[in-house]
Amino acid sequence: MTKWVKLHNNNSGSLSLVGDYKTTGRDSLVFLVDASKEMFIKGEDGEPSNFDMTMQVVRSVYTSKIINSHRDLVALVFYGTEQSKNPRNSFKHVYVYHDLDEPGAKRVQDVDALRGGKGAQLAAKTMGSGETSLGDALWCCANLYSDIKLRLSQKRLMIFTCRDEPHGGDSVKDRQARTKASDLKETGVTIDLMHLMKPGGFNVASFFRDIVSPPEDESELGLQLEPCVKLEDLQKRVRAKEQRKRAMARLNLCLGEGINVAVGIYATAVTARKQAPVRLYRETNEPVRSKTRTFHTQTGSLLLPSEIKKAQVYSKKQIVMEKDEVDAIKKFDDPGMFLIGFKPMEKLKRHHHIRPAVFLYPEEDEVKGSACLFSALLTKCSERNVFALCRCIARRNYPPRFVALVPQKEEVDEGKVQITPPGFNVIYLPFADDIRTLDPPQCPVASQIQVDKMKEIVSKLRFKYRSDAFENPVIQQHYRNLEALALDMMAPEDMEDLIMPKVDQIDGRLGPLVEEFKDLVYPFNYNPDSKPAAKRKTAGTGGGAEKKPKVEMPEEELRAHMQNGTLGKLTVAVLKEACKQFGVRTTGTKKQELIDALTERLGS
Amino acid sequence: MDVGFSMSNSAPGEEPPFELAKKVIQKFVQRQVFAETKDELALVLFGTDSTKNSLDKDDQYQNITVHRHLMVPDFELLEEIENQIHPESQQADWLDALVVCMDLLQTETKEKKCDRLNIVLLTDLNTEANSEQLDVIIENLKKAGITLQFFLPFPVGDDEEGGGDADGRDPSQPGTGKGLSKEQKSGLDMVKHIMLSLDEEDGLGEIYSFSKAIEQLCMFKRIEKRPMAWPCQLTIGSCLPIRIVGYKAVTEEKLKKTWTTVDAQTNQKDDVKRETVYCLDDDNETEVQKDDTIQGFRYGSDIVPFSKVDQDQMKYKHDGKVLLGCTWHLKQISDEVQRHQFMGTQVIKIFSAKDDEHAGVALSALIRALDELNMVAIVRYAYDRRSNPQVGAAFPCIKQDYECLMYVQLPFMEDLRQFTFPSLANNKKFTPSDTQLSAVDSLIDSMMLVEGDDQKDMFKVHHIPNPAFQRHFQCLHHRAVSPGTPLPPMEPWLKTALERPDVISERCHVPLEEIKRKFPLTEVEKKKKLKTSAQIFGKDSEEPDAKKEKGDEEEEYSLADIAEGSVTSVRIRGQLTRRIEQLLSNKNTHYYMKSITCIQAFREQSVKLGDANLYNGYLQSLKRSIPNRGLEVFWNLLVQDAITLISKDEVEGSTVSKNEANQFLVSEEKKEEASTPQAEDTGDVDDLLDMM
Repeated sequence: MTKWVKLHNNNSGSLSLVGDYKTTGRDSLVFLVDASKEMFIKGEDGEPSNFDMTMQVVRSVYTSKIINSHRDLVALVFYGTEQSKNPRNSFKHVYVYHDLDEPGAKRVQDVDALRGGKGAQLAAKTMGSGETSLGDALWCCANLYSDIKLRLSQKRLMIFTCRDEPHGGDSVKDRQARTKASDLKETGVTIDLMHLMKPGGFNVASFFRDIVSPPEDESELGLQLEPCVKLEDLQKRVRAKEQRKRAMARLNLCLGEGINVAVGIYATAVTARKQAPVRLYRETNEPVRSKTRTFHTQTGSLLLPSEIKKAQVYSKKQIVMEKDEVDAIKKFDDPGMFLIGFKPMEKLKRHHHIRPAVFLYPEEDEVKGSACLFSALLTKCSERNVFALCRCIARRNYPPRFVALVPQKEEVDEGKVQITPPGFNVIYLPFADDIRTLDPPQCPVASQIQVDKMKEIVSKLRFKYRSDAFENPVIQQHYRNLEALALDMMAPEDMEDLIMPKVDQIDGRLGPLVEEFKDLVYPFNYNPDSKPAAKRKTAGTGGGAEKKPKVEMPEEELRAHMQNGTLGKLTVAVLKEACKQFGVRTTGTKKQELIDALTERLGS
Repeated sequence: MDVGFSMSNSAPGEEPPFELAKKVIQKFVQRQVFAETKDELALVLFGTDSTKNSLDKDDQYQNITVHRHLMVPDFELLEEIENQIHPESQQADWLDALVVCMDLLQTETKEKKCDRLNIVLLTDLNTEANSEQLDVIIENLKKAGITLQFFLPFPVGDDEEGGGDADGRDPSQPGTGKGLSKEQKSGLDMVKHIMLSLDEEDGLGEIYSFSKAIEQLCMFKRIEKRPMAWPCQLTIGSCLPIRIVGYKAVTEEKLKKTWTTVDAQTNQKDDVKRETVYCLDDDNETEVQKDDTIQGFRYGSDIVPFSKVDQDQMKYKHDGKVLLGCTWHLKQISDEVQRHQFMGTQVIKIFSAKDDEHAGVALSALIRALDELNMVAIVRYAYDRRSNPQVGAAFPCIKQDYECLMYVQLPFMEDLRQFTFPSLANNKKFTPSDTQLSAVDSLIDSMMLVEGDDQKDMFKVHHIPNPAFQRHFQCLHHRAVSPGTPLPPMEPWLKTALERPDVISERCHVPLEEIKRKFPLTEVEKKKKLKTSAQIFGKDSEEPDAKKEKGDEEEEYSLADIAEGSVTSVRIRGQLTRRIEQLLSNKNTHYYMKSITCIQAFREQSVKLGDANLYNGYLQSLKRSIPNRGLEVFWNLLVQDAITLISKDEVEGSTVSKNEANQFLVSEEKKEEASTPQAEDTGDVDDLLDMM
């Protein structure tokens, strides 16, 4: 269904944005947060409490859902509270703060209210901390899910707690919680544990091992995770779980001779855009729907697809084709990837870039044995530093493209959280048409002294790049504006523009280096804002025919320039004059040739 | 072009030179037409039975016909070449023809400004040419700045030149250098003489053989765009500006022209009009004027009215300066900025501003400093004040004859999706054994696309023309010259260009067999695989998948959404069922999908109104009628979407239990067979409608 609906939604988007049939429906996420006293204990040196940290994460998930997938459903439930609030109020000590629904401005505000010291007070006032029954809490969450009439494609529940034995050894409650957890898992809910730091360490094995869902790869990895101490870690861990892996396509990677490895293509980076506006009726602010129809100009009757054709005009001749012919032209083969061969990594040119890369991972569910062969290819390609060249047809009626499959090994951080997943990065390669012929202008080359000065500058500005360090100011500003309007705020929240270079800081770091470099490179009075045509420069040095006497330069000055490698700063006229002066015969008229000749002469 | 008597002579099994020459011209004109160049072209035939040229006087310049005067080539010319040019029975002096051409060029370009004048001669040189005037001709060619190209049926003796041996290697060349007639030999000498006197070094490079030319011309011209300079400044900190100029170097090129929609009968595009109307989401679908609407944005579940004016006022603004951000921080190239993190759709090469040698030196210093330190500059890039700024990397690039920075966009935090995937290495089930690994090793060995010590690349993707464009033009051309016939198959050369090179295919055969043995691969049979319409309908599906591009992942579609969209307006349920029946009568996925949407809407409405019977009754009778009406495919879609009966749990008045509701779809598979034989029981459409 998804596919079909997409066809008729012509609004926006790009190739990578299409989900596949397995993901029909909405994603849902329940935050089940421990509200016991332990959660509110502040860390040493004023570190935020676990509760505070959790609220920050919940807020960031809310806002990111609003931006990226506002149709996902999110709920926030507290357990271990004094007060109770849930549909039918059948569970004690469970407080449903937000039931499963699309996140909106109000909800963001609600969560904001729970942050910081004031938030803790508010939480104490409205909910308080009381007895804990995780079983009841899970049961309550199960009801939230079953109350939803929409089709859900992913059901996820995250438990945030710093107590590894929530029931303090009450085996009846423990058992009840386990039963409810397994009921939930049976209905397709994935339960994750976001365990937070507590004095003495968090023992996952004692209780939660039976609560959480086993990790995807059936390894024990998930349970060895250290509890989160820092906000960033928690954020990262939540984000990794919360974002849904969505294969753009599932294909066969054909090696030849009928050897097909099933693979899924994932978009790991998609340009986020500002959402398209919704049209509203001026009088009532209710959304209006748009209908587009094709009709006959003369008769005014609506035209069926069979009543129209497609045409292009070349040199005054109209060439007409049926609609399905237009599609047929694009078809080369069925979707799939076909291995052409391998090439050493250095044959992959950095500037051969036309589209963001996608990611390839085996689909063991489709063809058994895929993961093993895929893994072997990955190991060997990475060991031998080669990439695989493939012809790729990503979906039906797509013309072929060539792609480079670049191996990427798995990497994990100290906390055993995966930083880069194992698989191939798929890099789209340009065809001949995609490469433009440039006529590179002749540019002078800097001298080593100038280069060295620049190296000093460059070294001062060194920092460590992180791909997630930059927020898109356009999108952030847009949503802040919306937020302000939606929440009736006086002014949008201030935003730090992360991509604007911190000029003052840079200037501070560079100090006198900039002036020194300019002295080496730019002539006096050089103004880069003007259009410094040749005239301007000569004007600066004296201009016109009368400058002739001035062109001569004392030998010492010339030698100084040569030693500093700044001969290039002089004009061609000056250099030519200097050549004459020293009796240097040059055949060339190019600046570099003059400089070379002079250097040779004066250097000897 | 020589159309004379000897041009139609050929050895058995070979195409006569005439046909080959005609092909060369056709291909060439085709390219010109589709590239829509402004180049003008004239066609002069010699060896014709008649004579028609401006120099025709007193038995001179006979049997030479100016077929078409200098003008931009079009389809008319293509058609003429196809239908009007035939081998004729006379012979004419090719030097005379050359003179006619020169005269034509001189007289017809007088009023025009031309960059280049060129004469292409296609002949077999089988007529004796009068060499008396040769030097005069050469002198005139030089004076007028006319260049010459010769296309001959045979390759020119490479042995004498010791130069390129490409032609000599090809044994299929008709009459390779041997068996030339006396006339041809002397003609060839003259050709060489002319060419060498015009251009001492590369003169002979402009003599081609027909077959070689066809090979090269079969490609449609690649799309060429004049690079546009983008002047701006690169600033480091606040006070170190460098004047630069950027050029798009690599970007995915699109076809210049798009398809227009025309009326199927008249082929007129003016007969078709598209319009968009807005309507309220009420029962009457009240239309509202566009002027009466304002724009709003979604903020999660809320919609915030936000006028364009407000939006412009409040939007993110950056300094108006057209300035390419700043090299503010720099970093190790190798590990931090990785190739797969590149965003955007282009690579920009950055040079220093023209005529500003100081900027040149400054930029050169930066490029070299980055290169020597093995770093890249992370910059903020803004094309101009209206465009959205980007963050990107500027890599130093030092080539033999120039140096520049190469800019590529990097991701924003919002663009990234941090997916985690199960580990492959830590999973024992997937760990390949040593023998498996060595099988892959030898596969890689056999399939390396580089050869020799210098690692010559055997398969350069960036030398292959975009096959989609080639095919597009091939089909357009075909439709233009032979309308009414089905589209031609793909050109064989294009197919070959996309395939694994033959050498590799041979070499990798054995290692692949080994892989096959070592790695068992079994397709997993799914018990009940979910099907999409596309999978069910395969290639016949009406809409091409390519269009899915338009989809938008941010939008999570569910049936409920569509119901809100295109069909909820049909509120009255009776109307809905009639619509469903109407849709189902068209046996077509497209309509099936619509019916499902309607059914879904029907169901939702029923639940809302707390009345299940009408819906349940309809669905049950619909199910009964499936076999008779041959709607199994439709039913599968319905099952896949899990559109069940309305159960007691949802609506109190329902007589169906939750279990029954679910069974309704599940049991279908078995029942289907049982119900097939009762074909005469026509639970037909009318009955269904009557029920309503």
